[in-house]
Amino acid sequence: MSYIIRFFTWWNRATLSTGLWTLLYGERVGTDEFGNVYYRRRGGKKDKALGFERRWVIYKGYAEGSATPPGWYGWLHHTVDTPPTQEKYAPKEWELPYRPNLTGTSAAYHPPGSILAEGRRAPAGGDYQAWTPEA
Amino acid sequence: MTRILVDGVEVDVPAEYTLLQACEEAGAEVPRFCFHERLSIAGNCRMCLVEVKGGPPKPQASCAIAVKDLRPGPDGAPPEVFTKSPMVKKAREGVMEFLLVNHPLDCPICDQGGECDLQDQALAFGGDSSRYAENKRAVEDKYIGPLVKTAMTRCIHCTRCVRFTAEIAGTSDMGAIGRGEDMEITTYLQTAMTSELQGNVTDLCPVGALLPKPQNFRARPWEYQKTETIDVQDALGSAIRVDARGREVIRILPRLNEAVNEEWISDKTRQVVDGLKAQRLDRPYIRENGRLRPASWQEALGTVAAKTKATKAEKIGALVGDLAALEEIFALKLLVEGRGSANLDARQDGSKLDPRFGRASYLFNASIAGIDEADSLLIVGSNPRKEAPVLNARIRKRWLKGDFLISAIGEQADLTYDYDYLGAGPDALARFIESAPTASAKRIVLIGQGALTRPDGRAILALAAQAARKHGGLSEGWNGFSVLHTAAARVGALDLGFTPGQGGLDAADIAKAGVLDLVFNLGADEIAIEPGAFVVYIGTHGDKGAHRADVILPGAAYTEKFGLYVNTEGRVQEALRATFPPGDAREDWAILRALSGALGAPLPFDSQKQLRAKLGEAHPHLLRLDQIGSASAADLEAVALQPATAWKDDFAPAITDFYLTNPIARASATMAECSALALDRLKQAAE
Ligand code: SF4
Ligand code: FES
Repeated sequence: MSYIIRFFTWWNRATLSTGLWTLLYGERVGTDEFGNVYYRRRGGKKDKALGFERRWVIYKGYAEGSATPPGWYGWLHHTVDTPPTQEKYAPKEWELPYRPNLTGTSAAYHPPGSILAEGRRAPAGGDYQAWTPEA
Repeated sequence: MTRILVDGVEVDVPAEYTLLQACEEAGAEVPRFCFHERLSIAGNCRMCLVEVKGGPPKPQASCAIAVKDLRPGPDGAPPEVFTKSPMVKKAREGVMEFLLVNHPLDCPICDQGGECDLQDQALAFGGDSSRYAENKRAVEDKYIGPLVKTAMTRCIHCTRCVRFTAEIAGTSDMGAIGRGEDMEITTYLQTAMTSELQGNVTDLCPVGALLPKPQNFRARPWEYQKTETIDVQDALGSAIRVDARGREVIRILPRLNEAVNEEWISDKTRQVVDGLKAQRLDRPYIRENGRLRPASWQEALGTVAAKTKATKAEKIGALVGDLAALEEIFALKLLVEGRGSANLDARQDGSKLDPRFGRASYLFNASIAGIDEADSLLIVGSNPRKEAPVLNARIRKRWLKGDFLISAIGEQADLTYDYDYLGAGPDALARFIESAPTASAKRIVLIGQGALTRPDGRAILALAAQAARKHGGLSEGWNGFSVLHTAAARVGALDLGFTPGQGGLDAADIAKAGVLDLVFNLGADEIAIEPGAFVVYIGTHGDKGAHRADVILPGAAYTEKFGLYVNTEGRVQEALRATFPPGDAREDWAILRALSGALGAPLPFDSQKQLRAKLGEAHPHLLRLDQIGSASAADLEAVALQPATAWKDDFAPAITDFYLTNPIARASATMAECSALALDRLKQAAE
C-alpha cells in the first residue's frame, strides 16, 4: 500500500526521484519532533544552479509546508547555518509548542460569530429566555 | 376666513392660521424642524422660510407668522406666499448649510439614519455639497435617564424636547444651557428625566440626538416589519406600531389616534419590549410530587381534563387576568359555565364594579376625547399620572387651556397640574356632594380603582354617581361619570359578564384556601391563590401565577395574537399579531378549545372567525371595531340610589409601582431599571 502511495502521489513523503536523489547525494542532518527528516548535499557541496548548499526536507507522511518548526525553518531557508539539533537552545516556559497550520482542518480557528464555529452561536432574532421552574 | 395666495393657488384659511398651515392647506410642502402641531411655536430652526408679498421683504419663518399678519395689496389683492421662488430656495439652502456646519456626518453609525428629518430635508432642500472645512463643534453626551440615549453633537437645537417636557409632560425635565454656539440641551445636572412620557422625546427629536437607549444599534428602520396594533399596558388601548425584525419585536412606536392617545405613549407601553423575550412560558408543565416538569400538550390537556371531570361543578372556579383578550375570556366563560359553575371573576384586584348596574357604571363615559370639552374635573381615588399617563397628559392639556377646575380626593400626588385637594377619604367625597366648590355644567367625575377595590367600593361608586348627578356630571348630552381602569382586559371581561353568576364566588373567595378544588387562571398574576386548589394557569410569563400553578399551559402575549380589547371608555379595538408565540405556546382561545375537546364537550367554534361570530351573536357591540357601544346614563341614577355608607379609611393608590404592573413589565429589565430609579427618587425626596 505505502508503495503505491509513494509511487503515485507527490504529497506524501518524497517522490521516487527525490528518494533516489537523497539516497545518492543527500546527507542526513537531523529530525525534528514530528519525525520530518532534514538533508543537505553530502559534505555541504555547493549546488551548481544555486551557488550555495542545497537543503531539503522529507516529511513524515503528508507533505505540508507549514509543518517545519521554526528552528528547522530557519536552517532550511539559510537564515542560520547551525541546525537546531546542534544548538543549546532551551525553549522558555512561556513558549507554546509549535503547531502546523490548521486551516482546512476541523481544529481550524473560527472567529466568534462564524457559522463554522462549533458549540457557540451568535444570538438570533427569535431567541427568548424561557422560564424554568426553579424548584 | 382670509383669502391668501400660495404659489398662485388661492386658499381660504382662518386668519389665525400660521403661514405654514396655510401652505399645507394649499398643498405646498414646507420643510420644518422645530414646528410641531402639538407644541408651542418656537421659530428657531428657520428651515420653514418662505417669501411673502404683503409683509416684510425678507424671508419669513412661516411657522411663526400668522395669516392675519400679512396685509392685502393696495387694490385689495390677497397677500401672497411663495414657497418655490429662487429666494426661498436660496434661503433654505443657506439654513441647511448652517445646520450642517455643526452637525456630524455620522449617518452610517447613527440609529436615526433612514428615518431622520435632517437627512431627508438635506437631500430635498439642501445644497449639493459642503463648503465647510473648519473644525466642527463637539458637545459632550449627557445622561438623561435609562430610556433615552443622547448624542448631543447631533442636536440642532430645535427645542422640541424641551417644549415637550415643559408643555405635554409637565415635568420641565429638559432645558438648554449656554447661548449661541455654546447652547447645550440637558437635564438639570444630568439627572434622569422623571416623566412617564419621556420616551416620546425620541420620536420628536428630528435628528439622532435623542434615541431610545434600549434599542441602541439594534436595527435599521427599513428592516422592520411593521404591525399597527394596540397596547395593553394600561386600560387606554393606545394605538401603537410594533416593529419586528424576523421573529423578534425590537421596538414599539406610537400611532396617531386622536380619540385615544393623540400621538403619545407611555414609557411602559414603549419599552416593555424586552419583557416579551424574557421569562417566557414556552412549553406545558405539570406539577408532580411538588415539582413542575415539562410535559407535552397532550399530557397536560389530558391531566386537566381528567381533573375537571373528577371535580364537582360548584368546586370549579375561573379567574381572568389583566391582559386577556375578549376571545379567550369568552371561551373560558363558555367552558366553565358549560361545566355548570358560576364561580367566575375577572376582577382580581377586588374591584366592586358590576355589569349588573349597567354598562355606564363601569365605563369612562366622558370618553377620553371628551376631556377636551369638560369644564371641571373631580378625581376620586386615582392617580391618573400612574394609572394612565397619556390620559393624564390629556387632562393637563385641557388644564393648560384654562377655565378648568380640578379637584382631587385620595392620594395627594404630583399630577403635573394644579388641583384643589379636598381630602383623602370618602368623607371628603360626601362633603363634595354637600357643596361643590364650583358650579359646572360639564364635570367629569373620574373614579379610580383605588376607590373601588375596597370592600365598601360599591358605596363609593354610589357616592361618586351622586356627585356626578348633583354637580353637573350628568345632563342631557353629557355623561361625566368616568371610571378609569388599570387593566386592559377589565372592561371587556365586564362586557362579557365574566363576574360571579347566581350564587357564584368572587375573586377573593376563589383564591381562598380550601374553598375550591379546581381553578382556571387565565393570566391573573396579581392575586395570590392560597394552597389547596388545583390551579391551571394559562399565561405567557413565569410570574406569580405560574409558580402557584399545578398545570401550566403556555399562551400568547398581546403582540403574538389577534385579539379584541375594550378600553376604559368602552371602545372596541383589535390587536394584531406581529410575531408568533415562542416555542410550543399557542393562542389562548385555541388552548381552551383544545381543552374543551379533551373534555369531550367541544366549544362551538373551530377557528377564530367562528369564535368571533359566536361572540357577536351574544354581544353584538363587541364586534364594532373602534366604536363605543351604547351605555345608558339612566343606569347611573340607579347606582346613585344604592346604599352609600362608606368607611372612613383613606383611598389607597391603585398602582404603587407604575413600571411593574403586569407580568410582561415585571419580566423586562428596562422596566426594572426605571422602577429602581423611581424608587430611589422617592427615597431621596423623603430624606
Ligand atoms: S435634542 Fe433633538 S429634540 Fe432636543 S433640541 Fe436637540 S435636536 Fe431638538
Ligand atoms: S419650523 Fe419654522 S422656524 Fe423651525
